[in-house]
Amino acid sequence: MSRVTAVGTVLPVWTDGRQRVAGIDEDAVTLAVAAARQALDLAGDGARVDRVVLVSRDLPLLEGGNAAPLLAGIGIADSVPVVEQVGGAPALLDAVAGAVPGTLVVAADLVSAGAGAVLVGDTGPELTLRGRVVRSMPVRARAADGVVREYDDTRLVWEQGVRRSVEQLELTEKPVVVAGLNAKQADQLCSATPPRLATTGAASAIFALAALTEAGPGIVLAVEQASVTAVHVDGIPEVSRLAPPACPVPRTRDNPGPDISISLAAYDRAFEPKLRWEAGSCDECGTLALPPRHRCLSCGSEAGWSLVPLPRTGEVYTGVTVHVPVPGLPTPYSLVIVQLDGVDVRTLVRVTGVEAGTTQIGDRGALVFRKVATRSGIPDYGYAFLPAEVTGQDARQREEALA
Amino acid sequence: MRRVAVVGAGMTPFREHFGLGIKDLVPMAVSEMAAHVDKGLDRADIQAAWFGELSTTDGFPSGILADTCGLLDIPVTRVENACATGNDAVRNATYAVASGAVDVALVVGADKVRESSARSTFWEWAGMTRDTAWDYPLGLVAPANFALHVARYLHESPATREHMAMVAVKNHRHALPNPKAQLRFEITIEQVLAAPTVVEPFGLYDCTPQSDGAAALLLVGEEVVDRYTDRPVWVRGVGLGLDRVMHQHKRDMTSFPPTVKAARAAYAMAGIGPNDIDVAEVHDCFSGVEMISYEDLGFAERFGAYKLLENGETTVGGRLPVNPSGGLKAKGHPPGATGVAQCVELFEQLRGEAANQVDKARIGLAHNIGGPTAVSAVTVLGIGKD
Repeated sequence: MSRVTAVGTVLPVWTDGRQRVAGIDEDAVTLAVAAARQALDLAGDGARVDRVVLVSRDLPLLEGGNAAPLLAGIGIADSVPVVEQVGGAPALLDAVAGAVPGTLVVAADLVSAGAGAVLVGDTGPELTLRGRVVRSMPVRARAADGVVREYDDTRLVWEQGVRRSVEQLELTEKPVVVAGLNAKQADQLCSATPPRLATTGAASAIFALAALTEAGPGIVLAVEQASVTAVHVDGIPEVSRLAPPACPVPRTRDNPGPDISISLAAYDRAFEPKLRWEAGSCDECGTLALPPRHRCLSCGSEAGWSLVPLPRTGEVYTGVTVHVPVPGLPTPYSLVIVQLDGVDVRTLVRVTGVEAGTTQIGDRGALVFRKVATRSGIPDYGYAFLPAEVTGQDARQREEALA
Repeated sequence: MRRVAVVGAGMTPFREHFGLGIKDLVPMAVSEMAAHVDKGLDRADIQAAWFGELSTTDGFPSGILADTCGLLDIPVTRVENACATGNDAVRNATYAVASGAVDVALVVGADKVRESSARSTFWEWAGMTRDTAWDYPLGLVAPANFALHVARYLHESPATREHMAMVAVKNHRHALPNPKAQLRFEITIEQVLAAPTVVEPFGLYDCTPQSDGAAALLLVGEEVVDRYTDRPVWVRGVGLGLDRVMHQHKRDMTSFPPTVKAARAAYAMAGIGPNDIDVAEVHDCFSGVEMISYEDLGFAERFGAYKLLENGETTVGGRLPVNPSGGLKAKGHPPGATGVAQCVELFEQLRGEAANQVDKARIGLAHNIGGPTAVSAVTVLGIGKD
């Protein structure tokens, strides 16, 4: 039994007309970070995270590691263990059902795109495992080469896969929400029409837990091909959703060119402040520097500095939009210098979440964790400016800035 | 320090010199300079050389200058100071001659921008001039560096994109009679405003072309001037200024502090002020940069640059013609050569020999800004010693 203390869900702003899709600066790690922050903000300052489980079938790196960027983006100490688990919706429910208090279970899907996070703690409704069936019906397969192979028989997987496995669970009541299936299939497994979920992968199981606010307590069923997991939740969890209105993916021009190179020495030096959004604070006078630097910008001290968190809201001081083809980068894109709220620090970042060229001097917004670039195959994470208009959080940010 | 004179100047045309390498352009510029020394130049007189080259093409720059110009027995120093390279090479040679260490010094500037494909230049240069972890991956290409300043400048000052277009139109017109200029055609304000956007707020015609070229000057001490000419042009002042290298750390992006510092130093050394300048070659890599530079150099009051353009004051025939050569915008911009070529233009202007001659020009100013926007060099030349 686990207690669901807080649930956070996130949808990317972009749609391809049929479903949400990740932007060019988003991947499973950035989506997972956004969802985790949503859940932890809801849980409040006292929330304890002792371990993190990331479930996805879209992990950016199979070798090289996604754990450190994930911890840094969420803002969790690098001493916390991370399980990177390849899996779908049943795996997510398994992870939650088996979690000890202090576990943050995060999931991200890229098609349809969305992410969720569940904080298992000492409060909230009880989630209990009701049954599990693990079977093989690989109508869709993706090997280490990344190539997807589909066995085109939807009736086979439905009749011989899903239905048989659900029967095998011998549930005493029908589920109130189903993760991992489309709406029509989910309808057939429930007595009342279940809530529609934003994704069908690992994250869909978290969207299902969040949907209990609509469906009420009961059985949550997670399906992936012929494997199923069922849990019972005895109450309605606390949920925080980030679901901006969907915008069509902006038309960009792909410009062929070499992958831009990376210096891993420079990557390593910048990692903590760049991914944790921290400045160097001069040990002598407290002046903040981003990036941190050997010699203080203000007093000239070289005695040392300590990392301190930076505000995550600010106002555009100046900005430009690059239209000319730049090899290896889709154009156009916008760059802005943002004056952060309440500190004497500016940052130069990309704009995210809106069409290029729509951000003006004076616009307000938030600094959010994104993939700034892919360099020599390495995701280069950092922060981007999300205009307040996307999240509608302008008013709240103003209040926080004043406070 | 003793006085220093320019007694010879020459340059290659600025072009896309696909058929010529750096090893061709450098000796061509030096030979043209030598051919234009009034009383002739014996190369054995040259005691030292300073070579401004921003990039490195075909090998190690100092060696290429010594080798290709037949100057194997003198010291050659390569100067690299971003887009201020050319005028900083002039500055370094000036100090060597002024100190008495050298009587006859050669200054050469050159760059071969079109040695790489038109688009890959962005990344090659960005890789050299940006913070590798923080700025480089953002796609902060060269026009964006300056556009960040100009966008804020347009926000705070009454100037508009139309005023930027006036700069481009003026400098294209100025380039028409200049046989060394790369873009010798007139454009209209409407064409500038309708051109494809490169980096908002810059359209194609707000931007310098990509150029190859080389330029050369001969600097000598006052005791030996008579050996070379009866009509020297004097180096009256030199200055170099710097600023924080990351845009995030620049407080007021409507101004380039390096220019203010470099100009202050050069004016002080010359014992003059901005009102004494008769003609100027100003760094107009992007049209809006010429406007901001009017203010930084003291030619206009803060946020008053647009008035000079509206009144035609900086057009040849106006109060203070700027970029009679066509400027970087129309003459071209091979960075290492640019500052040296500005001084070639001023040498000809002050001697009354320029293709687009400014009447009664006695004192001229050359200016570069780059780095990105973190270094500026200013040189003041005059036909009188004081």
